[in-house]
Amino acid sequence: MMHMNFCAETLVSTSRSLQTQRITRTSRWIMLPLLVFVLAFLFVGKDAHADRKGKLHQIELWAEKIPAGAEGGNDLFAYRMASHIVSKMDLSNETDITSRYVDAPTIPGPTIVIDEGDEVSLTLRHQFDADPESPLFQVSVHVHGVHYDIHSDGTIEHINLVADESATPVASYTYHWVAAKGTAGTWAYHDHNMITLNGAEDRGLYGALIVNNKKSRIPALSNIGKPKKVPLSSIKKEYVLFIGDDAFWGTEIDNKTGQQTPLWENPTLTSQKNRNVRFHLIALGTNTHQFALPGYGWIDPGTNVVINEKIIGPLEKHVFVVKTKENSNYMDMTFSSKLLGMQGDLNITP
Amino acid sequence: MKSIVSGLTTKTVTALVCFTTMLFFSNLLLAATHTIEMSAETLPNGQFGYQLNAYAGPNQLTPTSEAVIPGPTLFVKQGDELSITLTNNTSVPVGLNIPGILEGAAEAAAGGGSQNYVITANQLGAHPYFDEGSQLLGLFGALVVDNTDGTVQSYVDGDGTITTVNQDELDKEYIMYMVGSTFWGAEIVNGTQTPLWTNPVLGAVLDDVVRFHVLSVEHDHTFHLHAHRWLDEIAPADQGDEPHIIDVKFLGGQADSHSFTVKAGTGVGAGMWHLHCHVVSHMESGMAARFRVDEPGATAGNSVAGATPYGAILLGATNDPGLVTFEISDEPGRWFRSARSDALAPITKTRSLEVMSPGSSAHFIMSDTNAVHAISTLLWPSDANDPTLGNPLTIPFDQTKAYRGGAIIQLDTPGLYVFTCKIHPYMFGAVIVDDPNTNGLDLGTKIDLATGINGLPTISDLATRLLRTFFVATTQENWQDYTSPAPWTISYPDVPVVIGDLSGNVVENVPLKAVLESRYGQDIPLAGLFNPTTPGIGEVWIDTQFEKTAGKTKPGTITVLDTTDWTIKRKIALPAINMNHPHNIWSNADQSVMYQTQWFDNKLTTINRETGALIDNIQIGDSPSHVMTIPGTDEVTVAINGENGVVRFPAGAINPEFMTPTQLPGQVPANPHGHWITPDGNIVTPNINTGDAGIYDSDTGAIIGRPAAGGNFPHDPHPIAIGMGINKFYVSNLLDHSINVIGFDGTPIKKINLIADYDPINPTGPDTLKDRDGDGLVTAGVFPIQTPVDPTGRVVVTANTGGTITIIDTTLDKVVAMLPCDPGCHGANFGAKAGGGYYAYVTNKFSNQLIVVDVDLDNPANSFIAGRIALVADNSVPSDDTVVSLAGMGGQGVYAVPNVYNGWVQNLGNDWGLTPTQLNPVP
Repeated sequence: MMHMNFCAETLVSTSRSLQTQRITRTSRWIMLPLLVFVLAFLFVGKDAHADRKGKLHQIELWAEKIPAGAEGGNDLFAYRMASHIVSKMDLSNETDITSRYVDAPTIPGPTIVIDEGDEVSLTLRHQFDADPESPLFQVSVHVHGVHYDIHSDGTIEHINLVADESATPVASYTYHWVAAKGTAGTWAYHDHNMITLNGAEDRGLYGALIVNNKKSRIPALSNIGKPKKVPLSSIKKEYVLFIGDDAFWGTEIDNKTGQQTPLWENPTLTSQKNRNVRFHLIALGTNTHQFALPGYGWIDPGTNVVINEKIIGPLEKHVFVVKTKENSNYMDMTFSSKLLGMQGDLNITP
Repeated sequence: MKSIVSGLTTKTVTALVCFTTMLFFSNLLLAATHTIEMSAETLPNGQFGYQLNAYAGPNQLTPTSEAVIPGPTLFVKQGDELSITLTNNTSVPVGLNIPGILEGAAEAAAGGGSQNYVITANQLGAHPYFDEGSQLLGLFGALVVDNTDGTVQSYVDGDGTITTVNQDELDKEYIMYMVGSTFWGAEIVNGTQTPLWTNPVLGAVLDDVVRFHVLSVEHDHTFHLHAHRWLDEIAPADQGDEPHIIDVKFLGGQADSHSFTVKAGTGVGAGMWHLHCHVVSHMESGMAARFRVDEPGATAGNSVAGATPYGAILLGATNDPGLVTFEISDEPGRWFRSARSDALAPITKTRSLEVMSPGSSAHFIMSDTNAVHAISTLLWPSDANDPTLGNPLTIPFDQTKAYRGGAIIQLDTPGLYVFTCKIHPYMFGAVIVDDPNTNGLDLGTKIDLATGINGLPTISDLATRLLRTFFVATTQENWQDYTSPAPWTISYPDVPVVIGDLSGNVVENVPLKAVLESRYGQDIPLAGLFNPTTPGIGEVWIDTQFEKTAGKTKPGTITVLDTTDWTIKRKIALPAINMNHPHNIWSNADQSVMYQTQWFDNKLTTINRETGALIDNIQIGDSPSHVMTIPGTDEVTVAINGENGVVRFPAGAINPEFMTPTQLPGQVPANPHGHWITPDGNIVTPNINTGDAGIYDSDTGAIIGRPAAGGNFPHDPHPIAIGMGINKFYVSNLLDHSINVIGFDGTPIKKINLIADYDPINPTGPDTLKDRDGDGLVTAGVFPIQTPVDPTGRVVVTANTGGTITIIDTTLDKVVAMLPCDPGCHGANFGAKAGGGYYAYVTNKFSNQLIVVDVDLDNPANSFIAGRIALVADNSVPSDDTVVSLAGMGGQGVYAVPNVYNGWVQNLGNDWGLTPTQLNPVP
């Protein structure tokens, strides 16, 4: 229905426009709206008939404690990928891709890579000691961007008025996400329920969800810095960089194998020269950041504008593709971050 | 400003055609004129608001009988003209600023002045309008400029379709202003505007098409709405051919805005969807509202307003949930200043106490401060966080780190709540949640303290002692003036209160003033001033942090005392840089350059010691507390109290070079305060936020150890200062009333309980203080702060803000003497006494005298007060500014020149007339 309405509106709007602009040119008055109508119908109609079944991702995620060491301070917490099985929606054709992840809790947590049209059934287990009175008793996954109903919000009952949507030491919790059309992009997932009524995302409980639209062509820059589009298949590596209040926390994904390598704080990123690599920046914490990668420019998402630095606030995402050429170092340019050394190298090998 | 994505489709061709249409139409329609009469009004809680008094123009816009926050939303079409007449009925000048449209226009004078503003609305989008000055107190609203063809922001439907919307297809529009840590909301349905006040529930029916206008002033925010996604706003000229679909949007700078349309619940269904700022500190300080998407039904989609300035607060107008507002301020004492304190102070005798009904909210806004703060409950009624009687999810109220913004918290349980800033822990604001059915203001029967003391009866000495401390600390008039012959008089509110006895029974009609006066005295004569008989060597630099001068808006001077004759040599206010709360001082090796921190700011200032002239004023980090050099290298180290490390730069450099973090990445910030340097050059910090002492290798930055501090109570010892011995260091714990003795490798050696002789529980009486630890002495050190060790390592002198000086013999690690001090006793440091030996110089926040302690190194118990010196200067004293109030008040950081501490004294470089023993204190 929506597609039909949309087409009708387009037609009306276009007709009005032409009435005023080309009032004396009757032939065009008829031809142009027809052309637009046909074009719109072709494209939209094609989308409407596309295969929307997608794949099902059965994921088991563990929330774990990373205890403080000899340096003292508080414990951190992190997610570990325990199991990731991809299948058709009817559970046929199961493929276990758990080996793509390290078998350990990481910060950021495992990057969940799916396609638009896929669905996720994510079971979270609470894997550390906490008695029912402890602020550590509940932990959750709240995801950004994709579709889910109120039971998969990953919040506490105080907020959602339905239930504490948490894993606890005695019960897991399963969330259901639908990466419907319109949800392609990079999104954060994070705890919303531990320690405070809005969770403890800033203690390490976060990761990225990448929803790819396989057909989309991704804005990038040509060798001479002109905007162009590249296919998803041309991207060799994904760098997931969370920008915390005092450090970058990274993971990289080799797109050839799907293998994920945790890179931890302020990592050195490496690539061969002349490769398309995609940065997925997500800020998390309290501070505003000013990201820069000297020597490189990129397309500001949604625009045709080439930028070389970006202000990013907590839980905003900023995703871009660069073609590797020279060594650089990424950094946060804000006053305190510079003093703290919030930066890392981008090392390019021939 | 931003523009609007409109008529955008998934396909470029269609988008372009639609866009051309839109532009073309906009040129054809005639611009309208909107004639608007507005006023700025003072609301019952002391905040301000804009009120619509008359409107002529094409819209349905009905004048209102009261001012609202946000102000009236002005909807116009692109190209329309607005003529706005603003009448100012407040007590402060009020104007109208619209970035990019109306900037720098004249303000309407206070008390009825008027201004007319004529503007043309050429730029599409939601534009914040606000008063520059009172914008954080409620003077803000939205001007929404839409396309002449009626199209507004498209939405992303549940199947991914990007759907064009006309304004008349919108079921609702919401204004959500992000201010401090509060959403101020309004909704507009068919032209009718309804204020929704603070953190409302926005109601909608499933599949309603609704438009959000999110705006901000002053602080950075990120807006997030659960389970919905929308199109980023991109200027048409910059529009790429892929839509940018987001669910979080940053708003920053002086003012900002973001408008978008969603279809309620599309793809996700009905539900109480959370809506919040995603800045963690703002999440922790209450910045959340709700988007309730209902299945269709009779009452479906109704919004619910939040706490309002017109609600149930003391002297309030209605029974709706009310709102009391505190401005967070750099003004001494009035750090939590009720927005209506002019009206309340005659009753409350302080500007930092508010009274409201259960279910109302306390609201805080960092509107008058340059610093970062935290806004945490120091104490609260015990029932408030009881799992059945109260709400442990919201009480205690706390944030993980210091930040900029505000706070808001609904308080349901009657009783007394005291809020403080963890970074600046003498900032206090109190709220009494008063049950109207009791006889007297409800202080509650029992209180819990942040340190983990639970169920303390309000009849106890500790409870009333804390109340007295609150009234002294928050009220300038209650501070001790040693230049006046009058006795010290403390004003208390003369009101009946409701408290609890030792068994937890309610006691009504207790006369608060009479109780406090009988327990702690009134009209107390102050001790006489006198100079030490033996001169000192050199100068003492004292941060008279609250002293106010004519040439600047921020408080604080440095008072330089000549110890050869005990006269004041100089006052340094630095009006050129509006020096703000000078807190702690150190010098370079040859004593030619003084380093001065500004604790309520982010600056480190360097001063020529000989002339008192400003050398430089550099950004160093938020709330820099203490500064100290590393002996030998003369490298400068500055503890960044509002952040997470020690910023460093080499001697002679003019900019900070790097920060030594006080914790590992990702950990809770330690927020170091008064650090010291070990003999081998390592940095030791008291980590106020994490309750430990950090030991850091100054060469590598490695964390050597972070031993726990405190031990008297379970939580939040608040270690605040370090004293350095020969082979161990001392940590003073402000809220734990204790001192830890720790080895340089982090090994705990001893905990010294400073309140072993004190009975906090029983009502005040002759036995409140007596020898309970059996050492033959009666001593108490309540709220210990600076705690230096003398250069020879023999004696620790601790300034306790509760009003005593305690002396520790380091051979015993035991308190061996107690000397009287003033309320707010704070800073202490050693300087050379002529002919050998040392004086300890002790400062007081809430008085204007310096206390000189003659320290007996052979028998520390015999240390005595050798002099009391007023820090008030007369006109003959050279100064760069004129003192106008709080003369000599606010004594905090203190530093003697020459620096006689071991490690530094050997590097002085010139002859100060020190004895051989003073030059080599640790042979």
